[in-house]
Amino acid sequence: MTAREHERALDLIMRRGTEEIATPEMAWLNSHLGECGECARYADDFDNTGRMLRAVAVTASPSLVQATQTRVRARALHMQEQRSRNVLLAISFCIGAMSSTMSAWLWWRFGGWVAQRLALPTSIVEPGVFVAWMLPAMVIAVAMLASSHPVIDRSLTMAVLGEHRKEAANDRA
Amino acid sequence: METEEAQIARGLRGRDPDVLDALIEQYQHRLLRYLLHLTGNRAVAEDLFQETWLRVLEKGHLYDGRNRFVTWLMSIGHNVAIDYLRKRHPSSLDEMMDPEDGAPFEPPAHDPSPFDMAAEQQQHERFNAALGKVSPLFREVLVLRFQEQMKLEEIASLIRIPVATVKTRIYRGVAALRPLLQGGSQ
Repeated sequence: MTAREHERALDLIMRRGTEEIATPEMAWLNSHLGECGECARYADDFDNTGRMLRAVAVTASPSLVQATQTRVRARALHMQEQRSRNVLLAISFCIGAMSSTMSAWLWWRFGGWVAQRLALPTSIVEPGVFVAWMLPAMVIAVAMLASSHPVIDRSLTMAVLGEHRKEAANDRA
Repeated sequence: METEEAQIARGLRGRDPDVLDALIEQYQHRLLRYLLHLTGNRAVAEDLFQETWLRVLEKGHLYDGRNRFVTWLMSIGHNVAIDYLRKRHPSSLDEMMDPEDGAPFEPPAHDPSPFDMAAEQQQHERFNAALGKVSPLFREVLVLRFQEQMKLEEIASLIRIPVATVKTRIYRGVAALRPLLQGGSQ
């Protein structure tokens, strides 16, 4: 028997049960297992491992499931709020940018009038008008940057986790 | 007609809490079992269980519903476990074992049942102990193959390794369990 035949047999052993294997392939495997003691032994070990592994019972405790659901809900709510806030900020930014653009000419005229009335030099008036014109957009930009660092109220999460840990400790005790 | 996977994908895209609640209920035992076998520590597995579902919420829009949800869920769990490993043990999955007790795998807790026969119970305990001595790399593929009934290709895409490596790990995992089980029975 060649190494390739053993390899083919191992491949089929690992695939049977989870994948559809053509009848001729299965017939070949059965014939091979009848002739090859090593592959037959491996097939037995493989099946026994699977049987034993499937018999291992692992269950999640109800407190774990409940704590997870509460945490997920709290995070979903927080994300929803953050998204709504971002949408509002984006709308505000657009409105601010549009009004700033449209009012630029008026601001420039106003700056010229103030400079004329107060006899101020243009080196002060021009930057001043520029800053005043940019101010709303800058305030909104700072607000948006601040909102990108979420301040998460973790009190609910921590409370839930605390309860869960207490219950787990009680279970173990 | 919309498939179950498509419905899940739609719910995840909308971050629907009811859909997530139902998914947590439905997949609780399978995910915890996978994480427990991967980490070998129940407390860590429970923490990662919660982190996995939070990541499902955050990355839910990436699930397109074309593959089985359970495969996608396990891949999220796998990534969460890997991230945990990188933070705590930067070298390998083998180090996910609890360094304090030397016997890393904590046999899963299960309620005593009047229907459990003593011999069967003993056999399960012996198997759990043997499983704990197997590398988490092998344990992971064994769990995915036998408990999740995943195809080799699914396991390969989930862990992001070649199919040939999956087969090698399964082969070596089964081979590693053989003497341990035989030794325990003597």
